Amino acid sequence: MAERVSARPPAAVLGRAVLWRAGLLVLRRAGLLLVLLAAVFLLVDLLPGDAARSTLDANASAGEVAARRARLGLDRPWFERFAHWLGGLCTGDLGVSARGRPVWEVVGPHLPNTLLLGGIVLALTAVAALGLGGLAVLRPGGRLDRAIDSGATVLLALPEFVLGTGLVVVFAFYSDLLPAVTTTSTGGGVHDAGMLVLPALALALPQIGWNTRIVRTALTEQLRAPHVDAAVLDGLPRRRVLLHHLLPGAVPPIATGLATSAGLVLGGAVTVETLFNYPGLGSVLTDALQNRDGPTVAGVVALAGLIITSTLVPADLLGRWARRFA
Amino acid sequence: MTRAVLLRSAPALLVLLAALAGPWLAPHPVDEPVTAPFAEPGAQHVLGADALGRDVLSRVLTGGRDLLAAAAAVAVVVTGLAALLAALGAVRPRVRAVVEHVGDFLILIPSVLAILVIGTSFPGAGRLPVVLAAIVLGVPFAVRVASAAAGPLGSAGFVEVARARGDRPLAVACGEILPNLRTTLLALLGLRFVDAVYVVATAGFLQVGVQPPAPDWAVMIRENAEGILLNPWAVAAPGAAIAVLAVSTHVAFDLLLPQARNRTVSRL
Repeated sequence: MAERVSARPPAAVLGRAVLWRAGLLVLRRAGLLLVLLAAVFLLVDLLPGDAARSTLDANASAGEVAARRARLGLDRPWFERFAHWLGGLCTGDLGVSARGRPVWEVVGPHLPNTLLLGGIVLALTAVAALGLGGLAVLRPGGRLDRAIDSGATVLLALPEFVLGTGLVVVFAFYSDLLPAVTTTSTGGGVHDAGMLVLPALALALPQIGWNTRIVRTALTEQLRAPHVDAAVLDGLPRRRVLLHHLLPGAVPPIATGLATSAGLVLGGAVTVETLFNYPGLGSVLTDALQNRDGPTVAGVVALAGLIITSTLVPADLLGRWARRFA
Repeated sequence: MTRAVLLRSAPALLVLLAALAGPWLAPHPVDEPVTAPFAEPGAQHVLGADALGRDVLSRVLTGGRDLLAAAAAVAVVVTGLAALLAALGAVRPRVRAVVEHVGDFLILIPSVLAILVIGTSFPGAGRLPVVLAAIVLGVPFAVRVASAAAGPLGSAGFVEVARARGDRPLAVACGEILPNLRTTLLALLGLRFVDAVYVVATAGFLQVGVQPPAPDWAVMIRENAEGILLNPWAVAAPGAAIAVLAVSTHVAFDLLLPQARNRTVSRL
């Protein structure tokens, strides 16, 4: 034991090494995000059909189209436009939509609504998954464990929009308890908290299924560790073993699972927001896709990538931090 | 084991059969109104009518075949590619590293968003762009599952013997490693099918790859959602078809994955 302690480098060096590795993790995620943004930009750029033409009348003259192209900056080479777009992104300027409005003006008012819905869904998912996963692992193989595992397996297979229509049939049609559509107040926000319940459930239930299984597997894996054996043999209460001996080692996979869910929730939000008429990023994207509005699509996808990266980085760091105790 | 898998996948098989034989069983034409919009179920129309007064039962019977064919194509190709890449990765670590990086990259964009962007980039091409995008985006995740099973085989005795006698990596991957992944690959095929149904149906719901007049379960849910309080069956029936298919397949094939069987811990 004494040898191991003396073999460790001094604390200052260790601290710098930790910072350096954390920095590398962040840089790697940022690099991947940059590649993603370039890919999205190129793909949107290659869209057949031209933003200048699709927003003008079908009988607009060639001169009008050329003038519109020049105004939208479509006549410059793609890498120049990408650099310009990327520069604008850093200052919060997402460019001009095909309809000539700043993209931020179209996207901005909807962003808080999606962040609100997504935040509620992720919080719900974290609490439910940790609770159910913890309950399941208290008696592995028991009746409760099997029930939780089957329930999770069923939930995670359901597409959000199917679940959403099911919830509407049950809660809005048969029991009339909750509203089936969202109405917006004049400020662009959601009118009434009850309108968030069904969309949030439709998005959260599959994620709860997926994360409960991750929590359960991660905790079960930790059961095999020798220090858990020691704690059980010492006669510590089950709750204490679960919270203090199993959970810390299980943090990395759980954190990654939740961060991955953030991306899945954003993807599912597109259909759920359309189904419930919810004023969020998903409905902006649906409209933009129908209008072939490249700049707006790129803006929404860039925002989604940014949101996902900003949930993955803390998960990476938390995982690395937790591994020091494992 | 086999019996449990068959029992759990029975509902999915029934839906599959109904979807395949459906177009011949449909009692009414699918593309013309036969009664009032959102008419309630009656003797003539067992599940009532949709937004345009077309027979819901006939449309449900007809609306699954293309969706299922697209999903099955995605599942088969993704599983095949993943099996090959995972087996190669077990022999050649560099292949594995590349796939890992691509997977970390693709996690940044929800596959639904990517498929929507790609699907709408090629309008008029039908479901093909959606299917291709679903294949490209599905492979890295499938490789991770297959690699977890193939990895330990890379250092197994019979693989080392094959490599020592000078077999090429591809030959070792196909001849020695792949045959030992059968159960994992079967599980993967089922789970990728569930995922493909999810992706293709989600794209269909947003009318990417299929357009409204076509009878399609996902499109039906979208176009009849406004009348859900008048005739809930117009959305509940196609929704139930997708749900039964996805849940039953998932529950059945999930049994085949190794970690699901691993319930030996009995302490705490």
